[in-house]
Amino acid sequence: MPYNVIVLVKQIPDIDQMKTDPGTGEPILQNLPLRVENLSKNAIEAAVKLKEKHGGKVSAIIFGTDRSSAAMKESYAMGVDEGFLLTGYDGNHPEVTAKVLAEKIKTIPHDLVILGNQSADSYTGLLAGKISALTGEPLLGNAVRIEMDGKTAKVTSALEEYNLEIKSDTPAIISVAQEINEPRLPPVLQIMAAGRKPINTQPAGPKEKFTSVVISNRAPKSDRKRIVFEDVDKGVSEVSKAIKEAIR
Amino acid sequence: MKALVFSDNQEIVAQILTSIRGKSDADAAVVSPVMESIDQYGAAKLYELTGTPGTDAISQSLSKIFAEGKYDLFLAGSTVRGREVAGMLSEALNLPAMTEISDLVFRDGKIVTKRFFYGGKTLLEEESSARVLTVMPGISEASRSQSRSELVKVELPASKITIVNRIDKMAGSVNIEKAQVIVSVGRGIGSKENIEKVKPLAEAVHGEIAGSRPVCLDYQWLSEDRQVGLSGKKVKPKLYIALGISGQIQHIAGMRTSRVVVAINKDKSAPIFEEADYGIVGDLFQIVPKLVSALKQ
Ligand SMILES: Cc1cc2nc3c(=O)[nH]c(=O)nc-3n(C[C@H](O)[C@H](O)[C@H](O)COP(=O)(O)OP(=O)(O)OC[C@H]3O[C@@H](n4cnc5c(N)ncnc54)[C@H](O)[C@@H]3O)c2cc1C
Repeated sequence: MPYNVIVLVKQIPDIDQMKTDPGTGEPILQNLPLRVENLSKNAIEAAVKLKEKHGGKVSAIIFGTDRSSAAMKESYAMGVDEGFLLTGYDGNHPEVTAKVLAEKIKTIPHDLVILGNQSADSYTGLLAGKISALTGEPLLGNAVRIEMDGKTAKVTSALEEYNLEIKSDTPAIISVAQEINEPRLPPVLQIMAAGRKPINTQPAGPKEKFTSVVISNRAPKSDRKRIVFEDVDKGVSEVSKAIKEAIR
Repeated sequence: MKALVFSDNQEIVAQILTSIRGKSDADAAVVSPVMESIDQYGAAKLYELTGTPGTDAISQSLSKIFAEGKYDLFLAGSTVRGREVAGMLSEALNLPAMTEISDLVFRDGKIVTKRFFYGGKTLLEEESSARVLTVMPGISEASRSQSRSELVKVELPASKITIVNRIDKMAGSVNIEKAQVIVSVGRGIGSKENIEKVKPLAEAVHGEIAGSRPVCLDYQWLSEDRQVGLSGKKVKPKLYIALGISGQIQHIAGMRTSRVVVAINKDKSAPIFEEADYGIVGDLFQIVPKLVSALKQ
């Protein structure tokens, strides 16, 4: 049977390109390009694969700013059919995003909501649980495999010590782990078509204020000795002494 | 302050209880069966959750305990299930949350936390009124206290989730988080077979073998429980030897608190040398045997 799948997509600054100020250690965020968050791509891929197998429709929701339309176009190019861009928030605290996203989810008929289990920038990992609590739909978390059978969703959930096969009725929330798939690189034609596809954009002010006072945000100090040998034999002799000392 | 501590991993419960001992009253909740001696880490009450441990059921049960017990703080060990429960409970009780913290201090009713940000590139220290916290494994070295917890059994409500099957991971079942010495290999090792070539070094230093994410996850040359890094294990051995690891920030996030770091890499400009006490530039397959014979002398 065909499934209607909502996928939650997050846009983040390209942290791989982010540098910290050599003097103060603070992050340099100006002119940093934005990109689709890594696990969001796995979530899109998982949703599009389900559509390819069973039929149905994939809708994406992004809560961000006007600048997030690029991320929506990328989602379209990967196979998302319909996109909702909620603007008005450039932060990334799940306290704020969960309520707004859950409200939007409730207006779109769906069998599944798929999202990444953690995101590469902040790593909070709370959104899936929050969305599950707000919608009342069960969470099948950290999935490395999804199987649909009628109105039942079954996933292999990767835990630290072992994996669990768990299942529930739909509608359900599924958070995915990176291992679930290899996100596709869309062909040029699809990227061009995606650029022309309309995006449903609507403002959505944050419902909740979360305030924390930042005391500091700096690159962690490293007090390493940094004694590096380019002469291998000298290096081996010195480093073996240091190793013996370290494990004494 | 009165805290409710939860984790599906009871060793993490013991670590969190140890870290807040003397600073806050605490009770703890664990999923049945209870680990031996878990009642000796300073929780006044120990709730043993019995029944099918779906996260929805755990969250409902703990929300009720939290509200009725008039707790100020919910501290969940940051595991897959811990984060799920923390997210659910924070919405069910409408409490602000702070995540992945590696340090916690109470200051005038507020809490001051530290967590890594921007993929581990910065350390963010914040003061907030957060009431739900996910706590990274290893926040303290667990130690026992004088008192014994009172055991309270709690039957979990029905879950919307059915557990079908448990699949054990291919593993040599090591706990590299506890290893005193680690020899860690990166993509530079080249193949699964080549890991044999560095085993003599691991034996010479009595170390466990670990690896970077590509080695453990993408290529599966080592089992996943040996992955060091942001999305793997956080280790703090006396000695960490990095072989053919470039030193990307997500890797560093897992070994930053090692006491002595040695790196061998053929690329002089590899970032791992910035995070190393001692480095040798060159081919690891040439250097490792030399190192082994020097160590045996
Ligand atoms: C969200 C997220 C989470 C992540 N979590 C983790 C994590 O938990 N752990 C982790 O490790 N990574 C993690 N990564 C991946 C990380 O960004 C890097 O891609 C990874 O650490 C690189 O692994 P590597 O150093 O083994 O490989 P590479 O970066 O490919 O480095 C290989 C190194 O080996 C050297 N080399 C090659 N041949 C030899 C030789 N013969 N002798 C000596 N040196 C040689 C090369 O010079 C090079 O420096 C994560 C990434 C993301 C986006």
